[in-house]
Amino acid sequence: MSARDIVVAGLGNVYRGDDAIGPMVAGLLAMTSCSVRDVGPLAEPLDLLGRFDGADLAVVIDAVRSGAPSGSVHVLDVDLASSSDGELDQAGVTSTHGIGLVGVLRLATAVGRAPRRMVLVAVEGTVFELGATMSDEVRAAVPKALQAVTALIEGNEQCA
Amino acid sequence: MTHGANRNRTVSAEGVARVEGEGSLRVVVHDGTVSDVSLDIFEPPRYFEAMLVGRHFSEAPDITARICGICPVAYQLTACSAMEDAAGIVVSDRVQRLRRLLYCGEWIQSHALHVYLLHAPDFLNCQDAVELAEREPGVIERGLALKRTGNLIMETVGGRSIHPVNVRVGGFYSAPEATAIAALKVPLERARDEALATVRWVAGFDFPDVNASYRFVALRQDGRYAIDGGRPISSDGLDVTPQHFSELSVEEHVARSTALHARLDGRSYLTGPLARYSLNQHLLPDVAREAARDAGLADTCVNPFQSIVVRAVELVFACDEGLRLVAEYEPPAPAAAEAVARAGTGTGVTEAPRGLLLHQYEIDGEGNIVRARIMPPTSQNQLTIEEDLRRVVEGGLDLNDDDLRWRCEQAVRNHDPCISCAAHFLDLKVERS
Repeated sequence: MSARDIVVAGLGNVYRGDDAIGPMVAGLLAMTSCSVRDVGPLAEPLDLLGRFDGADLAVVIDAVRSGAPSGSVHVLDVDLASSSDGELDQAGVTSTHGIGLVGVLRLATAVGRAPRRMVLVAVEGTVFELGATMSDEVRAAVPKALQAVTALIEGNEQCA
Repeated sequence: MTHGANRNRTVSAEGVARVEGEGSLRVVVHDGTVSDVSLDIFEPPRYFEAMLVGRHFSEAPDITARICGICPVAYQLTACSAMEDAAGIVVSDRVQRLRRLLYCGEWIQSHALHVYLLHAPDFLNCQDAVELAEREPGVIERGLALKRTGNLIMETVGGRSIHPVNVRVGGFYSAPEATAIAALKVPLERARDEALATVRWVAGFDFPDVNASYRFVALRQDGRYAIDGGRPISSDGLDVTPQHFSELSVEEHVARSTALHARLDGRSYLTGPLARYSLNQHLLPDVAREAARDAGLADTCVNPFQSIVVRAVELVFACDEGLRLVAEYEPPAPAAAEAVARAGTGTGVTEAPRGLLLHQYEIDGEGNIVRARIMPPTSQNQLTIEEDLRRVVEGGLDLNDDDLRWRCEQAVRNHDPCISCAAHFLDLKVERS
């Protein structure tokens, strides 16, 4: 398959502690793999519009707070068929400007520009203050998050 | 909430949608009259200014770009302008024109975002852009196409469209090849047509009949509609240097809010599209002025709901101006003036998509930042937005809570406050009792 068919996007603000995990992992992946296109760092899910159009796989990496232990890595398919107005609907939203990942996928689907599959790789964070450094737990989770994204890419290539 | 039959009530709306950031609006109605309107902002606003102290002056453009994901170029170029003023650096005309082209890209993507995804749903009885996209995918596709063109300009000139990496004090890290800039011509021509279609589309919306009394403030640039610099002027005769404007515009903390509220000579004022258009419409290119006239805009626009039409006209302008700059492009050589630090204070002003943005820095002889002041459009507009809200509530006391809340949200969205620029996460509430 074409390398252009896999899009990796890191959501987050690099100056906000654990929020930097998305851009960091996406950037590392882009440096070590030639089979993906890093379109980040992105500030909002809305920024995906125009950047993941028609991709075979779009992997979005972001920090989350769900109550799980800090540094936990979640891998979640963003699927319109099974999504409602649940947690994923607001995933990645950092302002009331924002439309969540599900909303962005719905919008892209409506105009025929959605990726075939969208997956959220979410890293549990605790430190989000402006100017803060990344927590040790989230820093330690970088290899695991990278591994999760790599597995998605390799799985996608095998399916192609 | 209770209905208008009750003369005492509190209306609160938390989380106004489609506003950048998070904040809350509170309206108190006592004995049938509005006794208090406040737009509250919670998060401490000035971390970036504190973060900048001690950093090298060359770092300011990249650090301040992170204040906003929607208008990073505004922050970068205003920081550059202020630092160049402080250090006495003169940039070449070619660099300045390339900066203006980059800024046109940001205007196009930001205005397209606001017009199509954030503001238009208000006039079409849609909850949000997703609903609008499902109802009218062709229209939203046009908006997204415009946004892509803006992003393309930012990628071509700035290296990438979100937080561009090619901007530096003195100019650019590298000048784009002439062929790369020339390749923007066709997308920009298409975008100009899409922008004209946008003006025709939004001109057909139903607008409440509002005639506000605004004190407009915008930049005036010689012979051109201001984007990348100029002198602050106002509708009541002000015409000053950026430095003088920074002295006249005083920001104050309000107990309820962590964002600063700006006053000019002690009074509120409005920056942004309505102000730019009303003060500078005669400087628009013919194609944009004709579009404005055909859309029914007078030379001054004081109906905040029609700001969507003004933004659409500015889309036409930004595309047309981009085409002019593409046609005239000559790669700057060198790509940047030498940026040598010297002790001093500098002020920079530009027109961000949402209004006048001011940066002011004091740097020492080593080039380290001693003091930073960043005055975003939203903190300047906040008092005027509250005045708009008061007017909306006073005229809508008979509405039920949901309808009044929706009307208030619209009143805020008219000005597209980028509250994350002012305070980084605003959560909007409206209350009434």
